[in-house]
Amino acid sequence: MLVAWRYRPRKSFIQSFDPRAWIIFFLCFMFSTLAFWDVRFLSPFFIIALFVLLTSGVKWHEVRRAFLFIIGFITFFALLTFLTGRGGEEVYKQEHLIRQFTAPFSLFGWTPTLKITVERAFFAVSQFVRVVSIAIMTILIPYSLDPALYGITFKGLGLPDKLAYAMDLTMRFVPTFGRDFQLTMDAQRARGYELEKIRGGLIEQVRKLGPIFVPVTIHAIISSEDIIDAMDLRAFGVGPRTWLQVLQRNLRDYILIWVGVVMVALSFSLAFFGLGKFWVPEALIRLVGG
Amino acid sequence: MPTDFPLVVENLSFRYRDREGAAIHDISFTARRGEILLIAGASGCGKTTLIRCINGLIPRSYKGEEQGRILVFGEETKGWTLARVSQKIGTVLQDPERQILGTKVLSEVAFGLENLGLSREEIFQRVDEALAFLKISHLRDRETFNLSGGEKQKVALAGVLAMRPSILLLDEPLASLDPASAQDTLDTVRLLADQGMTVLMVEHRVEDVLRIRPDRVLFLSEGRIRYLGDVEGLYKQVNYKEVKLPAERIMEFAKFAPAPAEMKILPSVADGKQETLVKFENVAFGYDVDREVLHGINLEIKRGDVIAVLGANGAGKTTFVKHAIGLLKPKSGRVLVDGRDTREASVAQIAGTLGYVFQSPSHMLFAPTVHDELAFGPTNLKHPKDQIAKEVKEALRTVNLSDKEQDPPLALSFGQQKRVSIAAILAMRSRILVMDEPTAGQDYQNYMNFMDAILQMPGFEAILFITHDVDLAVIYANRVLMVADGRLVADGAPQDVLRDFDRLNANRLVPTSLLELNVKRFPETGRFLRAEGLAHI
Repeated sequence: MLVAWRYRPRKSFIQSFDPRAWIIFFLCFMFSTLAFWDVRFLSPFFIIALFVLLTSGVKWHEVRRAFLFIIGFITFFALLTFLTGRGGEEVYKQEHLIRQFTAPFSLFGWTPTLKITVERAFFAVSQFVRVVSIAIMTILIPYSLDPALYGITFKGLGLPDKLAYAMDLTMRFVPTFGRDFQLTMDAQRARGYELEKIRGGLIEQVRKLGPIFVPVTIHAIISSEDIIDAMDLRAFGVGPRTWLQVLQRNLRDYILIWVGVVMVALSFSLAFFGLGKFWVPEALIRLVGG
Repeated sequence: MPTDFPLVVENLSFRYRDREGAAIHDISFTARRGEILLIAGASGCGKTTLIRCINGLIPRSYKGEEQGRILVFGEETKGWTLARVSQKIGTVLQDPERQILGTKVLSEVAFGLENLGLSREEIFQRVDEALAFLKISHLRDRETFNLSGGEKQKVALAGVLAMRPSILLLDEPLASLDPASAQDTLDTVRLLADQGMTVLMVEHRVEDVLRIRPDRVLFLSEGRIRYLGDVEGLYKQVNYKEVKLPAERIMEFAKFAPAPAEMKILPSVADGKQETLVKFENVAFGYDVDREVLHGINLEIKRGDVIAVLGANGAGKTTFVKHAIGLLKPKSGRVLVDGRDTREASVAQIAGTLGYVFQSPSHMLFAPTVHDELAFGPTNLKHPKDQIAKEVKEALRTVNLSDKEQDPPLALSFGQQKRVSIAAILAMRSRILVMDEPTAGQDYQNYMNFMDAILQMPGFEAILFITHDVDLAVIYANRVLMVADGRLVADGAPQDVLRDFDRLNANRLVPTSLLELNVKRFPETGRFLRAEGLAHI
């Protein structure tokens, strides 16, 4: 059975809007954020995301796992970019060294060196703010959007019936997959399997993940077939369907959509005129003698 | 051909594209208006294939070679769209969980009607009618995920009935239900038939279905009709060991057979030592911070215990049992396995002592062959290679799958996969065996055989099984636990716990003919026996 996200009706800012309006605003927010690398331009988006989070009514224990995972993931990659310098080369050309650490040994003629530069540090900060802003807004969607309205929301956004229902099922497939993964993990642990003790080379390690990934994949395929059977047996896709749920947009929903559209238009215009590119404070560069 | 027969099946055969041999051969029958036709037979005998042919999933979703024809009210269904078929023939699948698509009851019941493009007014009217007919109007705005098994089954049925079919196909509708929910479902089926609907019901639980007086029984064997006729004729045609019949009937036949041999249950504990293997100390648990689902469980599982855990759908039986292997850790209190707190041991470490068979085999099977699947557990537990080979052979023999050792487990039927999943745990030779619904979806003969074999296997010191089948508790258990709303409401010998019929009914359990007979004859027998045993006393 498809599992729904842990949605609960709450008196929150995000839930006070029509879901179609919120999805449009979310997409505008995301594209606007992606238009910038300048942390000064990114800050308003970060503040909007924090405002939506704090007014969402979602309890910390509900989203703790998701947030810890996502923030950990983003921090890891921001740190990796900071340490290696990779990723930022496209947005800055020149680097101003703060400090350099050189390993006292060489490997095949290569001496490991860690350069800490103003650009790398600021790029990591910008990257973190940018991705965290989008992540906060994304994580809140499943907790704030009524699963019963997924289909009609996508239909209302202009998708055809089949695609709208497919999107509905896809949204619910993610938590279902999570539950099946956990059940498989439990079943294999009960047979003495310990994921954390997998040893060997990369190929061997992948092979040893078979007891988890094979059942999860097979179960997903079987479940999909069941869903298709259940839909076929009730005449899905034979013609235009009626959607029982009805959504209604109010003035404030139109305002939200317009705010989103203006935001994305403004962001793209600013980006077009060269504003909002990667920025490093001049004072900081001067401080390190640049 | 008279057109007043809702359903006519003529010389129907079908072979799946990727399988050798036909799944069904030359099936012919007619079904009348208002008739209940019970379709029975062993796992893999072709029951589900027959249902798929009738409801149109074959050949539309399952490809293969089909011969013969199916007529609905005199019209051949070949070439009909599924939409057309589904308005005449409604299907409720084996597991309602696999059929329910909507997140809310209202959207689930309305799904088919939305697909037919009916007006919103008509959809609301039909949904309300279907819910009222099944007496579940109060569920209309509930989330489907939070419904009990019986409620899910009714909601799935409501979704089909709302489309107003003339023929209803039910594929093992009782498989996942507690006895009271099963009884409710059967009563509904009887009512539908009395109102003129033609019902074809595939079911292993023949005894339960007989209670609603099916008009005829179609018994399939290896894809062919072995018997088609009234219920009385079935008793004469079919061996009482093949289908679950009422206990009185079994006794009538069994008294002419030799008395069953006395079972040597748990031969490893013949020394009679009574040590505690698992201990629950005031265990409480909740999946969410603000909702507790297990409350204050205190319990000791001792050497020599064969425990049946009974209770309604959603009573907390699986949650309770998952604590024993450490898959769930108590929010308060503690669980000790072999004296060791489950919080201080990994699941893999506990698995050496306590083997746990999950409800669904599809969550664990992965290996290329049955042999490899069974060797997986003992290998993880670092058993020696030659010992593993012996353990695998023994486990396969116990579940009657020795001929499938080199087959891929994922290509087996559901019933066979279930037996592989049980064998995979048997091969680990843990001291304690825990099984969650081991007989669900299995045919009677198979599950009785493997239950007999498992209980007589050397090595186990205690066995615990969760079941909805009261007769399994009567036949095999020496102790019964009853769980309700996350609490242990009864714990004792079967003759003490199960003779309280009021308590059984309060816990959505229904006294069976075997239980009633055993209670009646207890002064004479001094213990609970299977029907074959009672026949010789």
